[in-house]
Amino acid sequence: MEDLFRYFRMSATYRIYREMVRFLIGVLSMIGQIAQVGLRVLKSVLTCSISPKELIYQCDRFGVSSLPITLSIVGMTSIIVASQVALEMVKQGGGNFIGMLMTILIVREVGAIMSGFAIISMIGSSLASELATMRVTEQVDAIDVLGVDSVSYLFVPRVLSGIIMMPLVVILASFVGVLLGAAASKGFAGLTYRAYFDSALLGLHMKDLWVSLFKSAVFGGSIALISCTWGYFASGGAKGVGIATTKAVVWSFISIVIWDMVFAVLFFF
Amino acid sequence: MSIEVRNLVKSFEDKKIIDNISFKVDDGEVLAIVGFSGSGKSTVLKLISGLIPYDSGEIITSEGDIAMVFQYSALFDSLNVFDNISFALQERKELKHKYSKEDLKEIVAQKLELVGLKGIENKFPSELSGGMQKRVSFARAIVTEPNSILYDEPTAGLDPMSSTLIEDYIVRLRNELNAASIVVTHQMSTITRTADRVIMLYNGKIVFEGTPTQMLQQDTPYTKQFVTASLDGPMQMKA
Repeated sequence: MEDLFRYFRMSATYRIYREMVRFLIGVLSMIGQIAQVGLRVLKSVLTCSISPKELIYQCDRFGVSSLPITLSIVGMTSIIVASQVALEMVKQGGGNFIGMLMTILIVREVGAIMSGFAIISMIGSSLASELATMRVTEQVDAIDVLGVDSVSYLFVPRVLSGIIMMPLVVILASFVGVLLGAAASKGFAGLTYRAYFDSALLGLHMKDLWVSLFKSAVFGGSIALISCTWGYFASGGAKGVGIATTKAVVWSFISIVIWDMVFAVLFFF
Repeated sequence: MSIEVRNLVKSFEDKKIIDNISFKVDDGEVLAIVGFSGSGKSTVLKLISGLIPYDSGEIITSEGDIAMVFQYSALFDSLNVFDNISFALQERKELKHKYSKEDLKEIVAQKLELVGLKGIENKFPSELSGGMQKRVSFARAIVTEPNSILYDEPTAGLDPMSSTLIEDYIVRLRNELNAASIVVTHQMSTITRTADRVIMLYNGKIVFEGTPTQMLQQDTPYTKQFVTASLDGPMQMKA
């Protein structure tokens, strides 16, 4: 029996299961840490422990400095989608629906999700590496020793800036996306601006805008919270900073796709 | 008594890093904790400062702040010297509305003068030398007038003259604040120039306790090996 158990422990199946269990435990423990930190952030927000100076700085970083890349990505995606769809729809006699299709697609999905991806790669990675560097250089310990709650000090302005700025970024990006979609539809399929915008206004509802704004706020908060948490709990010098940054980016990507599914099911199913 | 440690135990993943140690540091006294790398010296400071929890035992400190000077200063890169030093006064809940901007300026200038650095309030840590960063971190640590100061290898990575300067400031701060101080170090000059007493750690246990003079007499195999920096002796370096 002992031999059999030893043989099983040496087998590839056992090692695969062991790694899967370890991975699962790691994922669950990180979800627990994110939830725990999230509750502490919420408590700090409710008790008004916010530094206005730091909040303004983080809002500028999250919203303003990320704007060029976000607008470019959403704008280019809209041009690509219009270039693929517009000509085919005109050929099939559906030219009058291009504006509606593009606007619904951009406002409901492309604007928020592509902005989310851009923000993750630019801001999420920077938040994670910043906090991870502070952790491995003992700056986080220094904050705690000086009697300041490091979670409150570091997380609150960053997470709040995500929640506040992400909807603004998404509104602007979606606006640019719809405009460039119109230009591309005219360029690729000869559709007039009037036909595009008449159709767009017909298809767009207030619910789409509100859901998009709410979803963006959730995306922004999740990206900031996940990125900061990975950075905050980093360990092991330069390698640890790299690992924390990579994990922050991957987890943020997964989280916004999951949130997007949840919103799609809740509001449009 | 300002810091008393009783039967302290701390393990990481089933490995005992601190194994039932006890010691006391009185007000105005400097205790040096020495030992080879990995002997648990810095862990003791992290336990006393509350950065990590201990498994069992007791740490009793008199009321008031415990300050810590970190090995590589740990100044906040994104803040200038003024904001670094006044950080606790600006951000700590019970202090943040207590001081006006003018008060802060005065306090920061006073602390900078105490560590021999005047007029560098607007500089950023990256613009300072290692020795200056260390002194700014001293100023940041004492801004709340702490009862106890913990120094984690305060002279590590500094040239001999900067080390001497830092050692002088440890003594000066002890005299001016009458604080209980613990200095973790393995530099002989820091031990002899600053410490009133020394404890030596090996494998998480105290293997020597006495004055710097007693340590230099090399009466025990542990002190002999440490002072002569010999590879032969009861303390084995981990590969």
